[in-house]
Amino acid sequence: MKAMEFNSGKIPVWCPGCGNFAIWNAIKGALADLELNGKDVVNVSGIGCSGKMLNHLRTYGFHTLHGRTLPVATGVKLSNHKLTVIVNGGDGDGYGMGAGHFIHAIRRNLDITYLVHDNHIYGLTTGQASPTTDKGLKSKSTPSGVIDEPLNPLAVALNAGAAFVARGYSGEVEHLKELIKEGINFKGFAYIDILQPCVTFGKKYSYEYYDERIYKLDESYDCTSFENALKKVWEKDKIALGIIYKIQKDEYTSLHPQIKEKTLLETTGKIRDISEELQSFK
Amino acid sequence: MTVLTWKIGGPAGFGIMSAGPMFAKALKRSGYSVQGYPEYPSIIRGGYNCYHITFSNESVFSVYKRCDILVALDKVVFDNEDITENMTVIADFDSIKLSEDIVCKKIHIPIKNILKENDFPDIVKNSIALGASAKLLGVDENIVFKLFEESFPAKVVNMNIEAAKKGMQYCENVIQNNFKPDDKVKDYLVMTGNEAIATGAIKAGVGFYSTYPMTPASSILHYLAGVAEKYGIIVKHTEDEIAGIIMAIGASYAGVRAMTGTSGGGLSLMTEGVGLAAMIETPLVIALSQRPGPATGMPTWTEQSDLKFVMNISQDEFVRIVLTPGDLKELFVMTFEAFNLADKYQVPVFVLTDKFLSESHFCVDNLEYDGLEIDRGYIFEGDESKPMDFFPRYKEFKNGVAMRVNPGTPGGLFKAPGNEHDDFGFVATDSKTRIKNQERRFRKENYIKDELPLPKLYGNENAEITFVCWGSTKLPLMEALKFTEKFNFIHFSAVNPINWEDVKNIFKGKKLVAIETNFTGQLASIIAEKTGIVIEDKFLKYDGRPFFVEEILDFVERGR
Ligand SMILES: Cc1ncc(C[n+]2csc(CCOP(=O)(O)OP(=O)(O)O)c2C)c(N)n1
Ligand code: SF4
Repeated sequence: MKAMEFNSGKIPVWCPGCGNFAIWNAIKGALADLELNGKDVVNVSGIGCSGKMLNHLRTYGFHTLHGRTLPVATGVKLSNHKLTVIVNGGDGDGYGMGAGHFIHAIRRNLDITYLVHDNHIYGLTTGQASPTTDKGLKSKSTPSGVIDEPLNPLAVALNAGAAFVARGYSGEVEHLKELIKEGINFKGFAYIDILQPCVTFGKKYSYEYYDERIYKLDESYDCTSFENALKKVWEKDKIALGIIYKIQKDEYTSLHPQIKEKTLLETTGKIRDISEELQSFK
Repeated sequence: MTVLTWKIGGPAGFGIMSAGPMFAKALKRSGYSVQGYPEYPSIIRGGYNCYHITFSNESVFSVYKRCDILVALDKVVFDNEDITENMTVIADFDSIKLSEDIVCKKIHIPIKNILKENDFPDIVKNSIALGASAKLLGVDENIVFKLFEESFPAKVVNMNIEAAKKGMQYCENVIQNNFKPDDKVKDYLVMTGNEAIATGAIKAGVGFYSTYPMTPASSILHYLAGVAEKYGIIVKHTEDEIAGIIMAIGASYAGVRAMTGTSGGGLSLMTEGVGLAAMIETPLVIALSQRPGPATGMPTWTEQSDLKFVMNISQDEFVRIVLTPGDLKELFVMTFEAFNLADKYQVPVFVLTDKFLSESHFCVDNLEYDGLEIDRGYIFEGDESKPMDFFPRYKEFKNGVAMRVNPGTPGGLFKAPGNEHDDFGFVATDSKTRIKNQERRFRKENYIKDELPLPKLYGNENAEITFVCWGSTKLPLMEALKFTEKFNFIHFSAVNPINWEDVKNIFKGKKLVAIETNFTGQLASIIAEKTGIVIEDKFLKYDGRPFFVEEILDFVERGR
């Protein structure tokens, strides 16, 4: 399938200039480059402007509840590990509501790709502060300015033991597409935080704001070093794009003898003989 | 004497909860029907644990308040039990000094000395007591020894056999009972309600079970986890109940038979997930083992107080199936059928139980039935000619039900959305679509009704009073029926959706008394809502214990 063919035919309803358009294009490009078939891909979407991605891809899709993307994705992938599972959600969805699931998904290292549309704000509910909103920023729910420290989700991921941590940017579509491809190809939990300007409610985090600060990691950067990675995610004035940390770890499905060969879908759902089981109650 | 009752008690950590069930099995293997009922606090050491066995040569259904033979492994037993004159008490009366006014038939076993002389560790106390009990009740010692072999690590089996033999030496006076052991019973199963649920799910081809531990549902998780690899099931203890139910929904969406199980507190967290399953019409089986609440409540005790919770769980209105099995067979078969119903109607299916039914042991002749068949409902098999086409997953196929599609199917693309949606699963909020969907989804009820069992009458048709019950309260009523013809009872093994017009007919001409272990009479209130019949007389219990047989007989004698 060509990138274009991954259009569902539904016209996106994001605001003109919204960073979600670029993420959409990057995903379609990545799926096409990897020669994947829409029928073999499941996109699990959270609730928010980010989650609307679901409507625009010619793939299977699951629009879950707010914050509950990763448990759905886990259930799907364990049940049919032949599917490619991609998750799209916002920073409110993933770092607020879903923060617990995020940490535990990292612990599992299941082969799914998690794209967080990080606009540092709640878009769909018209502009309340999110867990990644900077201190002092005034929003609808924090009219006197945020007084909570912002979360550093990449640092959380690293410290929770994530094996693939990357950062992309809506202003760099080609680069983002390559990151998503790397994420899908990665055998494990691939986490990509995407700087996604919300042009309507996240005015501080504009394309100009990011363009002044971003730079791309190149070959000279060793992404297998945990120390390097920690330094990168705590950098103050500059923002590194690319794969910040990547190591190999046991992938979760491979730890289940139940699905070594066939999928759970293929092997279960049939009546079982339990006479031996019942013997033990005699 | 139609039944005998035996009880073993001691502090938590004494092994009461393994000795009790083991003795229940020993009695069953001797040819007696048994019922075993545990009571324990939610602590690991200390407190008071006991396990109460009722046995007979006739079928035994439920627990009595009475205790004929009490094994007291510690002084704490005397602080917790009412000792009566007729009671036979097995204890180390050297170490436990009783006040003068406690009168009972004492069987003294110098447990402390036996331990010391033989250099036995404390934990074999139980085996000494089991040996004594076996002797007292005429249970063949080899049955006990065989159980030790099956249950203990090989290296301690002999020590426990020796300990049991010591116990036997102090029990010369065998209690006479006129029970004739029944050879058929020797081959019966002794299992808990949760084990019946777990084996029913295994039989039904369950592929995925995910939840967070919560008493009294945890033993379903433990059982399935223990056999997961053997049967190729994936069992997950998730980070919380929210993840538990949502993960199961993900698995079901992918086409696998999925289930979760919890108690009321966990179900509170799962509430949003129940609504999600309903909205995306993804099959889901939920076992709910009730305990008194709210909040943390009484974790290890019983109550039937979540019926209205599941009847109304999650916002808005949607079809849910509520099954309320009352014994092992019903639990097993209904768990099996719950998967069929979930697949066929694509709605959440609740299997309700409670601590009493979940964790007590009961006897059943067999659970391997002929005639159990799997029905996965309507599934779209795919269309290779247009593999990337979207499919109308939410368009009615038959009886309000649409065709399911497993992701990966060519030509079956669709979106499973928590939002209201069009036939393909894309968000839709126009009034026509909303009305069409609500009406279609609710149409399923008409067909489900015909598949669910109607409440059933037990006992003499013309009895003076008719108890109306659901779930596990069937059991004490069955037991009480052995003694009187004054009452009969109607048991609901399913509450929703059922044919309420038929229920009215079943009620006709009867003097109804609601009997439930909750404060308000929840089934009675649902009956009033659905039929207009108000049951004024209620016999309710809400102290965390099931109805004891004597309590029911007293009530019947008093007339209320
Ligand atoms: C349980 C629940 N609570 C609240 C909401 C309302 N809600 C919808 S989207 C959203 C915030 C989304 O923010 P974010 O995840 O950052 O996504 P964005 O819209 O910015 O992409 C909220 C609070 C909801 N849908 N469900
Ligand atoms: S509100 Fe913000 S995030 Fe939502 S569509 Fe508009 S620009 Fe995008």
